[in-house]
Amino acid sequence: MSSPIVSIKGLRAGFGPTTVLHGVDLAVGPAEVAVLLGLNGAGKSVTLRVAAGLIPAWAGTVRLGGEDVTTLPAEARVGRGMAHVTQGRHVFPGLTVEENLRLGAYTLRRRDRSRYAAVLDSVLDRFPRLADRRRQLAGTMSGGEQAMLAVGRALMANPRVILVDEPSAGLAPAAADALVETLRGVHRSGVAMLLVEQNVTFALDLADTVHVMRQGTVVHSAPRQRVDQDRLTAELGIGRLLKGGTR
Amino acid sequence: MSQALVAGVVVGGIYGLMALGIVLVYKGARVLHFGQGEIGTLALFVAWWVVDERQGLGQPWLLGAAAAVVAAAAVSLVFERLVVARMVEASRLAIGVATVGLLLFLFSLELKLWGASPKYLAPPIEGLGPRVAGLHVSPTQVLALVSAAAIGLGLTAFLRRTDFGLGVLGAAQDPAAARLVGVPLARVSVFTWVVAGVLAAVAALLVEPTIGVFTAGFMTRFFVFALAAALIGGLTSLPGAFAGGIVVGILDQTVQYWSLGVPVPGLSVLAVFALILLVLLVRPQGLLGRAAA
Repeated sequence: MSSPIVSIKGLRAGFGPTTVLHGVDLAVGPAEVAVLLGLNGAGKSVTLRVAAGLIPAWAGTVRLGGEDVTTLPAEARVGRGMAHVTQGRHVFPGLTVEENLRLGAYTLRRRDRSRYAAVLDSVLDRFPRLADRRRQLAGTMSGGEQAMLAVGRALMANPRVILVDEPSAGLAPAAADALVETLRGVHRSGVAMLLVEQNVTFALDLADTVHVMRQGTVVHSAPRQRVDQDRLTAELGIGRLLKGGTR
Repeated sequence: MSQALVAGVVVGGIYGLMALGIVLVYKGARVLHFGQGEIGTLALFVAWWVVDERQGLGQPWLLGAAAAVVAAAAVSLVFERLVVARMVEASRLAIGVATVGLLLFLFSLELKLWGASPKYLAPPIEGLGPRVAGLHVSPTQVLALVSAAAIGLGLTAFLRRTDFGLGVLGAAQDPAAARLVGVPLARVSVFTWVVAGVLAAVAALLVEPTIGVFTAGFMTRFFVFALAAALIGGLTSLPGAFAGGIVVGILDQTVQYWSLGVPVPGLSVLAVFALILLVLLVRPQGLLGRAAA
């Protein structure tokens, strides 16, 4: 694999006296979709939050494009090309769709204001429903639309990698399917992705690489086509899900 | 009656100016800033000390006003850095209580430094001013009204049209999400508290000439009416805060006018509280507030 966009090594973190991550190692290559799977409490979302800078790392390193960003605040990591779509979407409910998107471009507009219009157009082209609702308050939209807005807002920063946490949670099946297509489109445009997802079918539908976590460590990593089926079944407590190497 | 209306609009403009600061802090930090009035009083003392010829430095009013604004900004900055910034994980209520601590500290400091005797600060513009409905509206009162409207509109435009302003609004709604789009929360917090302090100083400088003299605690009694204005306006709406100030001012002055000779003190305050209750029951988001904000 060429130099990874995101490289996490020996990551330890937790809350108060509780250690949640016991030395996580993983990497996300350029334009790769890496999926983190595991049971509840395995530390998947905490890994994402530490990588994004929302939770401090106790030990280990997070590198973004080769640069050590372990001690940088979350807002500085966005400027360096790391976007994060959090669990529960977290759009700004009292702002309009367009204002949400403009805030997503906060760092882009500071770096190069002239690119804003083109990035906005490309996001609105990708999400026509958002274009139709530019003036609508985000808090009044459906869960599926808010999920689209959250992804669109992340793209407004023109990121190199997006961390996506449980995007399908709480969505109706049709909305989840639409979201898979959206994320696939984002992937095709060359943006790398580190995805945490409880819905294994949803996750495997997108994955290039699969990482399985248990009790705060990565216990199995492999390209999607070469995932150890029995290991996956045992770790996740599910039946066989992979049906060959094609999508 | 028309005199009461004119007086109400004038007084309401000053309530509105203070309410803008209350709304700004509430929008930016989801905290009611109880120390805001007393920051205004401290600023007045600083202005008086710079301007007064016998006990102070005898400098022009404008220099005193500038010193007052700087003092209010400095106190707000120190409070934000030493207290608010260290209470990131604390509940909003705890920060609200800390602002009560600031109020009491500043009140005591004013008494210690300048004593309890009333002070007088000359108005920025002398003269009787235009006569409206049989009532002289002083130039300072006109200035207060115009300033409140201009600052309200200006702040609204700043918050909606600039990236940083939008960041302030976003941070108020979801601080974690704001960080994840790159909004610098520390700078947002400093901006919010410092601007609120400056607004308190401006309101104090503009209201004092109407009252004539001031002592420690002077602006905190206006804070109650300003809070009423902010609540009626919607707590999250800057134009609403200004409109709320006008409504509270008119109600206050009208009830005072009609209750002349009635042997019950404080009827106008009672009317304002009744209005707050009515608004909270009928339209909890206030006159111009948005339920989703």
